[in-house]
Amino acid sequence: MPTKDVELIGLTKRFGDSVAVKAIDLQIYEASYCCLLGPSGCGKSTTLRMIAGHEEVSEGDILVKGRQVTWQQPSKRGTAMMFQNYGLFPHLNVEENVAFSLRMQGVGKAERSRRARELIELVEMQAYLHRRPHELSGGQQQRVALARALSTEPSILLLDEPLSALDPFLRIRMREELKRFQRELGITFIHVTHSQDEALALGDQVVVMQDGEIRQSGTAREVYDTPSNEFVARFIGGHNILKTETGTVSVRADHMDLHVGGLPSEAGARARLGQVVALEYQGSRIRVTVSENPDQDEARHVVELSDRSFYAAPANPGDAVGISWSAADEHLLAPTHA
Amino acid sequence: MQPQAPKRPLFERLLPYMQIAPLALLLCFFLLIPLVMIVTVSFWNYNGFQVVPDIVLFNYTEMLGSATIWRTLFSTILFTLTTLAVTAALGFAIAYHIAFYVRTPLMRTVLFMACTIPFLTSNIIRMISWVPFLGRQGLINSMLMDIGLIDQPLDFLLYSRFAICLVYVYLFTLFMVTPLYNAMSRIDRSVIEAAIDAGATPVQIMFWVVLPLCKTGFAIGAVFVITVVMGDFVTVRIMGGGHSATTGYLILNQISLLQYPAACANAVMLLVVVMSAIGGLLRGVDIRKAL
Amino acid sequence: MTMSNARAGWTRRKFLTTTGAGIAASTLAAPMVWSQNIKDIVLRTTSGGTAATNALAQKAKEDTGITIQYTALDTDSVNSRVATQPNSYELAGLEYFSIKKLYPTGVLQPIDTKRIKYYDDIVPLFKTGKLNADSMEAQGTAPHTVNFVEDFESTDFASGETEWMTLIPTSYNADTLGIRTDMIDRKITSWADIMDPEFKGKSALVNIPSIGIMDAAMILEAMGEITYGDKGNMTRAEIDKTIEFLIRAKRDRHFRALWQSFDESINLMTSGEVVIQSMWSPAVAAVRSQGIPCVYQALNEGYRAWGGGTGIARHVTGLQLDAVYEYFNWYLSGWAGAYLNREGYYSAVLKTSKDYMTENEWGFWMEGKPATAPIVSPEGVKMEDVGAVRDGGSFEDRMGNIACWNSVMDEDRYMVMKWAEFATA
Repeated sequence: MPTKDVELIGLTKRFGDSVAVKAIDLQIYEASYCCLLGPSGCGKSTTLRMIAGHEEVSEGDILVKGRQVTWQQPSKRGTAMMFQNYGLFPHLNVEENVAFSLRMQGVGKAERSRRARELIELVEMQAYLHRRPHELSGGQQQRVALARALSTEPSILLLDEPLSALDPFLRIRMREELKRFQRELGITFIHVTHSQDEALALGDQVVVMQDGEIRQSGTAREVYDTPSNEFVARFIGGHNILKTETGTVSVRADHMDLHVGGLPSEAGARARLGQVVALEYQGSRIRVTVSENPDQDEARHVVELSDRSFYAAPANPGDAVGISWSAADEHLLAPTHA
Repeated sequence: MQPQAPKRPLFERLLPYMQIAPLALLLCFFLLIPLVMIVTVSFWNYNGFQVVPDIVLFNYTEMLGSATIWRTLFSTILFTLTTLAVTAALGFAIAYHIAFYVRTPLMRTVLFMACTIPFLTSNIIRMISWVPFLGRQGLINSMLMDIGLIDQPLDFLLYSRFAICLVYVYLFTLFMVTPLYNAMSRIDRSVIEAAIDAGATPVQIMFWVVLPLCKTGFAIGAVFVITVVMGDFVTVRIMGGGHSATTGYLILNQISLLQYPAACANAVMLLVVVMSAIGGLLRGVDIRKAL
Repeated sequence: MTMSNARAGWTRRKFLTTTGAGIAASTLAAPMVWSQNIKDIVLRTTSGGTAATNALAQKAKEDTGITIQYTALDTDSVNSRVATQPNSYELAGLEYFSIKKLYPTGVLQPIDTKRIKYYDDIVPLFKTGKLNADSMEAQGTAPHTVNFVEDFESTDFASGETEWMTLIPTSYNADTLGIRTDMIDRKITSWADIMDPEFKGKSALVNIPSIGIMDAAMILEAMGEITYGDKGNMTRAEIDKTIEFLIRAKRDRHFRALWQSFDESINLMTSGEVVIQSMWSPAVAAVRSQGIPCVYQALNEGYRAWGGGTGIARHVTGLQLDAVYEYFNWYLSGWAGAYLNREGYYSAVLKTSKDYMTENEWGFWMEGKPATAPIVSPEGVKMEDVGAVRDGGSFEDRMGNIACWNSVMDEDRYMVMKWAEFATA
């Protein structure tokens, strides 16, 4: 059984009367990439900041590598934080930024320069040693921030929405790099994001949070294939929520079938009739939105088809169509919390 | 032949000039004209009660050759540097406290008000109210004598360089607090947290992160302090008891003795000194970042 | 009544009432019948603090109808304004030492003594320089030396009395040192006493060059340090020596402070920062009215005196000039004089002011007699109890014992420069 790098036990954070994080329990395994996913205000950033030590814990415990760190100073926890807007020292150049922690520890000039340069080479920023942060692009700043965070040799790297300030193209590239760094360094990354794409792409473990509570925690595949409740299914996207005799179920949009010109008889109860209200061409796939009743939001379903199967029997907006799914693709959801 | 481009209407061509006119006029009337007058009069001649238009250099030669003038200028610069150092240290401490230790915005407002409220009364009143405090029979001396720490009153407390600097600091620390607070509140919290992560102690954070990031704040505060202290003549008169002088005080005396040209020459010198001090300061620090 | 009405001519009825009032006024020994058409005249007066009392302006308005608009400034500012903005005033309240330099600039016109009703009664100090035959010969810019010019156009001072005066004397006084009797054990008898080591750090000098240098000269001469040819007109060597002495004393912290304004001298004395210093008479009165024992000490070497008067701007003519003469005649007619006497100054025409003072007041202020009833200031503040005697005694004792008048020296500019050296040392 793999050892746990981080363990949260009944972790709670209150701001005055409101509770931002409600007694969460979480275990993050060694050298894994963990994504805390959720809408804004769900408590994911607060959780991360509590792990980092930048937010005081109201109740509960934080263990890092089995060691109680709840009341320890941030620098003594073995964690390092990479901030959303990077938090680089504006008055220091790249090398000085990365060497900052060494300087604070009183490491000599030559030694600190050597170690800083190593890290800077790791993030391939050696050409910018003497630039100030404002002279760098967003992506470059992020690399510097990463090198600086690594300078304290942390066993846990905490990343607070690290990609949100980048443009979409760069975001995907940096995401790959983050994953590579995590693998190569062999340390745990805890990455806070509100983007399910990012979480699914990066996370060995994806933790979905809502209202200060963990709704589901598991591998990316588990979370996507088997969302444990309606919230997760909706937030993670790509799912249809359907009410059946057995209860509320979710079915992946790409596991649905579209029937132009009436339902086949074998569909049985696992089928619905409706009208095409939207068509979205997405290159390799076509997204068809079908509505049973235009007045009801829950009566909208999405079917994702490969272009080949869609164009074999194309539908147009306004067409009366049928949709169906198979029992094997049905996933029963737990009732959503009030 | 190319057809000539149609001329833009007159109004349109004049518009940019009209837009800068108010500022230009203001600067012209309240800055340029008085300055030209001062420089002009500094070359005039004078006797006891009359100022005679002329072009003479002796206002300058007399000034530059006078040990009194140099000593006074030196004393003025010393006052300025002392005040700068103390107000910067004090202003930094106050701003640091308000920016980083006071959590609620309400409390911050309250503390700021507490700093500014005394400024609603006259400078001179606030200055003079120090006199009964510092005097030979003042509160401090009688207290120290009552508890037996001293048996003779301390004369240096009033009518001394100490008293002058004390009041400068008292009057002008706010000029430092405000821009420093402004600079500090612009520091991204994550920068501070990054320093904490890096294992910096609070003292290290103050010296290695906050202090360098307050450079523009110091520069703006220094511009204010330099300008008011170098130009002061009231504080030095009231708190100095005639034991010290500044160039401004010298100019005041010259004006009261109708030696306008000499006063103007002194004013020109003071202007040059202040301008070069501020110019030097702004070469080193780009204050536009803070504006 | 407006000017246009005046020009429109008098109705018979108005003529009668005016005349009637005039007759009534003269029988009541009121100053004069003031003609109606000067009622709208405004005389802008720039003046130092001493004579610029609103009470005088108010009374003048009541009695003459002339509006006196005072701008009170310090002595130096008055001089600068009079010299540089001659159209900004009609009347200028000046000190005699200033007129020495100001009159030659031509900004003022002389006063026709024939139009001054009480000219003959003006104290002879301003005309011959002698209070009485055996008065001591005072040094400095004595008022009579700068009080007359030869004719209307001349800007040179006349050697003796003429019909053209530069200033109408208003107030004058004899200055000496003020002391805190409760904080000094010994008797103070000489200007030299201020330099006694006992008063180290407890004494103050006035920091107005032209006056401060005189006090300094009185002190140094009394100490036997220097014997001046003329304290009011020192040589460069005398100035150097005086300033050198002062700088040494200052570096030695002998002076607690140098004061520049009247109020500063009051504060220094009341707070006890200083126990002996240069002082002016009303400042002593102000300290005393707070219940603090302060004496304007008469000293063996005599007093340093000053005199002030009012001059007329060159541009004043016609009706405005008539108003000026009426105002002057009112000023010398007694009420204003009595007011000034009661403030501790002296007025130019003693005879008329006596009519406006009680016997007790006259005895206390002018004759050096013990007060037979409490002495009250013109503002109504009780100044002295029954039995009190004025410091320095009678008018003759004080004004007859002038060692030196405030003055402007030939080496004025040099002196001011050297004084600045002292002030900044």
